[in-house]
Amino acid sequence: MTISTSDKPFLTRVKESENDHFMQQSVAKAQDAQWDKRTAAREELGNWEQWRDLGEQIRQHVIKYLPDYLEQFSDNVEKKGGHVFFAQTDEQAVNYIKKIAKEKKAHRIVKSKSMVTTEINLDKALLSLPETSIMETDLAEFILQEDNWDEPTHIVFPTLHKNRDQIQNVFKKLGYSGSNDPEEMAKFARKYLREYFMQADLGITGCNFAIADNGMINLVTNEGNADLTMAIPKTQIVVMGMERIVPSLKEAEVLDNMLSRSAVGQKLTSYCSFSGPQVNGESDGPTDFHVVILDNGRSNALGTDFEPVLQCIRCGACLNVCPIYRHIGGHGYGSIYPGPIGAVLSPVLDGYEKFGDLPFASSLCAACTETCPVRIPLHQLLIKHRKVMMDKLKMDHSFNNVLMKGAGVATSSPILFKIALEGAHMGSAPLSKSKETSVDNLFNYGHIEKAPSIASGWTDVRDLARPPKHSDDFRSWYKKHKKEQQEGVSHD
Amino acid sequence: MTNSNREIFLDKIATKAGRPRHQLKNHPFVPINDLPESTLAGKSQDELLELAQKNSEAVHVTFEKTNRSSLSALLNDFLSAKDINNLILPTCDKWTTFGLSDWENKLVDSAEFWAPESSRTENLAKANAADGAIGFADYLLAESGTITVATTPGQGRGFHFLPTHYLSIIPKSHILSRSRQAMRKYEAAITSGRLTTSNINFITGPSNSGDIEMVLVVGVHGPLDMTYVVVEDL
Ligand code: SF4
Repeated sequence: MTISTSDKPFLTRVKESENDHFMQQSVAKAQDAQWDKRTAAREELGNWEQWRDLGEQIRQHVIKYLPDYLEQFSDNVEKKGGHVFFAQTDEQAVNYIKKIAKEKKAHRIVKSKSMVTTEINLDKALLSLPETSIMETDLAEFILQEDNWDEPTHIVFPTLHKNRDQIQNVFKKLGYSGSNDPEEMAKFARKYLREYFMQADLGITGCNFAIADNGMINLVTNEGNADLTMAIPKTQIVVMGMERIVPSLKEAEVLDNMLSRSAVGQKLTSYCSFSGPQVNGESDGPTDFHVVILDNGRSNALGTDFEPVLQCIRCGACLNVCPIYRHIGGHGYGSIYPGPIGAVLSPVLDGYEKFGDLPFASSLCAACTETCPVRIPLHQLLIKHRKVMMDKLKMDHSFNNVLMKGAGVATSSPILFKIALEGAHMGSAPLSKSKETSVDNLFNYGHIEKAPSIASGWTDVRDLARPPKHSDDFRSWYKKHKKEQQEGVSHD
Repeated sequence: MTNSNREIFLDKIATKAGRPRHQLKNHPFVPINDLPESTLAGKSQDELLELAQKNSEAVHVTFEKTNRSSLSALLNDFLSAKDINNLILPTCDKWTTFGLSDWENKLVDSAEFWAPESSRTENLAKANAADGAIGFADYLLAESGTITVATTPGQGRGFHFLPTHYLSIIPKSHILSRSRQAMRKYEAAITSGRLTTSNINFITGPSNSGDIEMVLVVGVHGPLDMTYVVVEDL
């Protein structure tokens, strides 16, 4: 399991992120721009809350009948002449893909952006094959690859932490001699990658949604590289998390609309494609088509309170509204899945030992839950993680340690503490409290009766200032930050 | 090797979920509302055309309206405006439908065709060398300014992504309100056997990216620009 992007302790990562001012400005700019675009796109569609009901219903339904839908999908892929491999672990998935690459004598592999292939560390495994080269063809992933396989910082905008000069320097190593103008650099990448594409013999893609009743896969992109990956090489391998499935093209179409509006504020992205193995008479597209369906810890959520995390359609909207993400960026989380979704999903996939800090990296302001197009109760799941950790460690007789850990995460970083204090009052109506919040319930906001109090461990040993009353709601906070940012007011 | 591991995998997730397998036939998906159908429903073809133009232009598409008699002149204007020297065209019977047989015949020696009888390598090389493509779309979606195309032997996948400039011809009667209506038509065509395809593309304007400092760059891997031509056929 390689969703971890750093060996450093959480607070070290946060500290490093605090010092990365370009990253913070970029994230803030992206959040602000996306806020406007996303809101406009949803308003223009109309009835957004009812669309969310439908999105949630589709996702809940397929998770409920997941084995049946996966069975139906795999039958239909095979009817079309494709192959399906079910991988319980990353190792099984990687071994299968390596085996296909070897059988096909693949030397030039093209990939389109896929979080799940990052999750299984596929690039590294394929590069270990003799005489094999690999090319990430999404512009952002290409930049990360050529920058010594730097880690992504956002699930939709992976290079948010890089500026144009850094990217120009990366391209110079490839022979680029132009300016730092984004358009000129993109043209260079187009030409560079096109030459590679035309020689590619194996294409690897992710999958936004697998269509159960016809065996097609659906990809939602803006650049066109995924479609070239599905057109040019003779062999295609699709790697998908087992939850990425829908009943039919109709539900895929609903979710594509919701995903496009939520991720990038577009009605539809430039390319929404529904694709399978080549059929008789066609000359391009894969003649050899493989789908790898991956569990890799996802089933840990099934039958538990965390099951709703499998509804996620990876739109990144929760990252784009999160005040913690705004300050610590993707690298601060230390997981390829950052932000609120990452804070919920990473411990599910890879356990509390590695990612037990992340559920505490939250103000519980509920902005994530409010924006999620498929109504995942993200902030409640964060609270649930804390509770599970409490209960588990209580039984392990190390309750005080985890209490201190939780309080420590929040209070050791000035930024996290500040956001936690402000965020305590940022919640939506169901979570709001009429009386002043104390640090005692900052981390169990709205569920204080049920969840153990983390911060009591802290207050046992030390007086802690009562946090100031903060009556602003999230939007007021957001607008204030935006205004201050425009006026050039520094926040830290 | 295929599916040798499937049963173990599916049994395991059913057990973990605490729900038995094979329940779906008694619980098919029934949508909670009809928004995909009712949104933008009841619009006339003229209203849809107007909406399609607005939304196409919003995604950087050059939007043209014409009739059959003026279509060939418009295509010639496109070729000269974009300075296209290596044109690729599809192999299909729509040239006749749109009254373009003569226009197409004149280009037989100078243009390349995506040809069913050509190999993968040949067709892809032709599309890659092309600085322009003129093709036919199945539908145009008014809500999003999206053309939809199903891959056919005469108009392959690479046809839509490799050339530098791209023009798509759509009959006015094929403007639909939203993606749902297009999906219904594709599902019906596939189920009835009228359409055999491996691939359906919904294309909304030229390729683009915001990966460098969130600055919108139009034209990354796919065509640098798109022109839609709606032809009056009603
Ligand atoms: S949790 Fe919701 S908002 Fe966050 S990425 Fe997933 S679908 Fe989008």
